[in-house]
Amino acid sequence: MPERFHARFLDALAGDARAISAWCVGPGVEAGLSVYRNTIAKGRSDALSAMFPTVEQVVGPDWLAAAARLHADEVPPRRASLLTYGEDFPAWLADFPPAADMPFLAGLARLDVLWTVAHLAADAAPLDPARMAALRPEDFARSTLALHPATRFAGFDESLPSLWRALQPAGPPPARFELELRPEGLLIVRPGLEIETLVVGPGALAFLSACAEGASLADAAVGALTAEAGLDLSRLFATLVAAGAFQSLRTLP
Amino acid sequence: MTFQPTAGLGLKPQHYADALACWAEGLWFEVHPENYMAAGGPRLAWLDAIARDRPISLHGVGLSLAADESPDEDHLAALKRLVDRYRPMVVSEHLAWSMRRGVYAPDLLPFPRTRAALDRIAANVDRMQSVLGRQVLIENPSLYLPLTGHDLGEVEFLAELSKRTGCGLLVDVNNVHVSASNLGFRAEAYLDAIPAAAVGEIHLAGHAADERLGEALLIDTHDRPVSEAVWRLYARLIDRIGPRPTLIERDDEVPDFGTLMTERDRAHRLLAARELADA
Repeated sequence: MPERFHARFLDALAGDARAISAWCVGPGVEAGLSVYRNTIAKGRSDALSAMFPTVEQVVGPDWLAAAARLHADEVPPRRASLLTYGEDFPAWLADFPPAADMPFLAGLARLDVLWTVAHLAADAAPLDPARMAALRPEDFARSTLALHPATRFAGFDESLPSLWRALQPAGPPPARFELELRPEGLLIVRPGLEIETLVVGPGALAFLSACAEGASLADAAVGALTAEAGLDLSRLFATLVAAGAFQSLRTLP
Repeated sequence: MTFQPTAGLGLKPQHYADALACWAEGLWFEVHPENYMAAGGPRLAWLDAIARDRPISLHGVGLSLAADESPDEDHLAALKRLVDRYRPMVVSEHLAWSMRRGVYAPDLLPFPRTRAALDRIAANVDRMQSVLGRQVLIENPSLYLPLTGHDLGEVEFLAELSKRTGCGLLVDVNNVHVSASNLGFRAEAYLDAIPAAAVGEIHLAGHAADERLGEALLIDTHDRPVSEAVWRLYARLIDRIGPRPTLIERDDEVPDFGTLMTERDRAHRLLAARELADA
């Protein structure tokens, strides 16, 4: 029965060539199986590595490919589209002993995942800055800002976003991988087809998180000021709107 | 078949701008739909732009039609969205499996070609064609293991599948060469037995000899030019069945666009000559 064959074939790929002895014996079995094993391992590893160019900048392609193969054995892809395969890699990397002396690596990987998610997100026209400029302060409590579908952000206790940006291909790689102990966030936007990234502070992160949860502009602003005392709110609005972080502004009557 | 019998190229992201600017007569492009199953973004935008000027073929690698289970409905729905968006000239998949119990193995895995397998795969192809609302082509994979327990030969199996479901065939001449060499059958006899009317597309690609075993084990690597042996088999095939849309595939060690176009133009010239022979 074909049902039995498929399960047995996967056992054979996993290492037990005898599992398919009812269909295939002889000296060619191991060699044939190893072609399939190599193709599968390479396909998974190549797809996963492609999602982590910043990690690759730090550890090199061979280290990344080796780690990707180990990860793929533990967390194989669940879908035939491998575009987003690797979402579990950052958390896995945080517990990967050979990465223990690179505590920033998992965070860089997390930002690489956000970059890919933004890259593949739905297209939408960003909010027209004129709409935000025309909003009266007394309407803030009745208004909400919806994030653009490609907008992603993450906050860290250290200057990881600056390090991630310094490692992008456009810029020269940093001489040393050193983090400063200061809270930083990375905002990733794709108002058109090009991705842009901004290093932002805790106020901006609090504001974006509140908007993502559907909070009113007034509440989001209070959250931002609480997270970052002395924040220039109107400058923050202008920066985020100009970057294309939002899709729409709604004001209830 | 009503497709234009010209030569196309597998489209790689690093060649988007070249592909858009290229004016070659009859050129079309093929992509793996799995690489475009996104909500939006630059990949889809590039393919939108290229598809405005050129026919597109969607060549699936992940539907796992030869699995011992039904195709993944989410995957099929994502494929349907791409078919609706691009109105491709061809939609194709493989006589192989790659998904089981929700785990994906990115390869084209073999199976014993039993009557029971034929029933299952015919049902899966039916499902694919009814969701997509169109005919699909099914491709012969490269084989590396001398399995026993087959009720039907591969050509017989594909011909029967085509008869039962109305699907067409995508003949990968390199895969025939690789399988024939690995399993010890004659590639010419295989190609001569394929029902001509069912063939909707032909694939050509490069292969490599195994590092350890050499020519005793050929691997379908898609990392180099098409071999002369495969070009000879291709000429023999189109001599018998007539011209068909023909694709040059390259997925690894991808050279510049112009180098690939040189290979594509060779197929294009052979097709044109074959068409003249009919006229």
